[in-house]
Amino acid sequence: MPKIFIIDDDDDLLKAQRLFLEEKGYTVETALDTEEGLRVLKSFKPDVIIADLMMEHYDSGFVFCKKVKDEPDLRSVPIIMQTAAPRELGYKFDVEDPVKREWMKVNEILTKPVPLDHLLGKIEQYLQRKK
Amino acid sequence: MMEGMDVAVIDDEEGMREGIARILRKHGFSVDLARDGETAIELLKQKTYDLAFVDLKMPGIDGFKVTEYINEKYALKTVVIIVSALATVEAAVEVTRHGAFDFLVKPFTPADLLQVTERAVQQRKLIQDREKYLSELNNERTLSRQLINAMQEGVVVLNILTEPVLMNPKAEYFLGKNFRETKNVSDLFADEKILAAVGEAADPSSGMTAERVFEIERNQTMLKIRVASLIREDEVGGAIIIVEDFTEDWKAEQDKNRFISMVAHELKSPIAAIINYINVILTGMFDANPEKIHELLARCNIRGEALLELIRDLLDINKRDSGKMEKSIETVDLGEVLEAQSDFYRGQAEGNGISLKVTTPSEPVVVKADRSDLDRIFMNLISNGLKYNREGGKLDIDLQRENGLCKVTVRDTGIGMSPEEMKNLFQEFYRVRNRKTGSISGTGLGLATVKRVLAEYNGRISVDSVPDEGSVFTVFLPASPGA
Repeated sequence: MPKIFIIDDDDDLLKAQRLFLEEKGYTVETALDTEEGLRVLKSFKPDVIIADLMMEHYDSGFVFCKKVKDEPDLRSVPIIMQTAAPRELGYKFDVEDPVKREWMKVNEILTKPVPLDHLLGKIEQYLQRKK
Repeated sequence: MMEGMDVAVIDDEEGMREGIARILRKHGFSVDLARDGETAIELLKQKTYDLAFVDLKMPGIDGFKVTEYINEKYALKTVVIIVSALATVEAAVEVTRHGAFDFLVKPFTPADLLQVTERAVQQRKLIQDREKYLSELNNERTLSRQLINAMQEGVVVLNILTEPVLMNPKAEYFLGKNFRETKNVSDLFADEKILAAVGEAADPSSGMTAERVFEIERNQTMLKIRVASLIREDEVGGAIIIVEDFTEDWKAEQDKNRFISMVAHELKSPIAAIINYINVILTGMFDANPEKIHELLARCNIRGEALLELIRDLLDINKRDSGKMEKSIETVDLGEVLEAQSDFYRGQAEGNGISLKVTTPSEPVVVKADRSDLDRIFMNLISNGLKYNREGGKLDIDLQRENGLCKVTVRDTGIGMSPEEMKNLFQEFYRVRNRKTGSISGTGLGLATVKRVLAEYNGRISVDSVPDEGSVFTVFLPASPGA
């Protein structure tokens, strides 16, 4: 069964997404902050990572993703970022721009709330690509 | 037209002196007489004359010397008319070459005299007008120069070759360049777009162009650069650049954007959790397990309530910031406030096995404040002390009077904070986010509001904390005098 790792500082969101994905047959592990996340990833090797952006800091998600991509055995794992931060204000990034996307180390950014069917579709899409 | 003009008549012939004087006085001139060169010089030392009739041939200091003297001392002020006998016409002409305006040949009729005088008066007026004009022009130039130099904005004026012809001190300061070492506008800016705009604005063949505005950063300062054509007599005569420092506005805008961005994030986060829970319920996976559905709905309920609380806090902050908060200031017993707030939270404390204790001195400690503001401060601190505590922990609230201040300490035995986590604790939307606080709901506005409210009463708050041991919040409020 494909393995999914979710990191988010919102306990409820983690719980809902875990329940949903487990019901769909995935193995799910979660973490509430960067430190815990990196620890979990030492033993749990996911097929897709879903990461929040604003956690301990407003850019924790980017830092976390950078650290994940620095790990040789995690480098190829696709990362879907989901954030409630508004795109129009506060932060500006463009995942269409390959250079910037490379710097951000994420494959895609979704805006919360992300309907779970949509999230599932995205996960399946990345798993398909891997094959 | 001849009123008030001062005339010196210098002639060694009494008849001639008096004759000229009589005619001129009749026409409104004020006339002084001198019978020789020496007397004339004395006279000229005391007053600046508009006209001087100078006899060329006088014993001692003659007309040449007097004219020389006048030219040296009063050039462009005193108009000299040489009076001479026929025999010395050539000499008279010579003198006019050396600064005399005209000459009158003896003998002359009163009409001759008046004609020459008329011309001299015109000359004098011309000189006066020119002087006045020059001095006004000079003043005006000095004034505009002073104004430009005193401006808060930087001003750079460029000719059509985009070479600076003027740079005020502010422009030198903002752009970090001296006028003297600036040969072209390209020494001031590197930005291609600005240089192109300046080139276009200064180019007469491009016609007058509309003002263009650019924003650049230089030496940690945000500069607004306005570029426009310089219009001289309806034609483009170069370009003008106005440089403005808008760092403060820019920072305020950044702060506002950051705040709005945080508000959007904080409003969307609980909605995301609620929607995802509903997504789960709607899959039908728990249709046979109503207890599980109930559990998820209870969480939705809590997140919804927290969202409402956040909106209320936001409106409250906005009201405080706009000064629209109505206050009813009264004398309040602080111990009583603490007791009342603790009673309100006692149920919640007991539910978590936390012992909640309030210690107050025997004498009442009184402050002047709006009761609801005090409630808000301690409601936030007590609620935090319970939320971030541990099962079976303690929450001790202690009130004291200290050096004319009321001091309240709220001490918990909770998860505590690292120095880094404490750094931004009183900032809007800052919440300590880690695995220990993940399930604790909060708006991120509680402590920011406490700090704001305290500031309204010249109070303050400080925090001390040890991770995994607990935190102590200390509030100081000015005690009401005489209480």
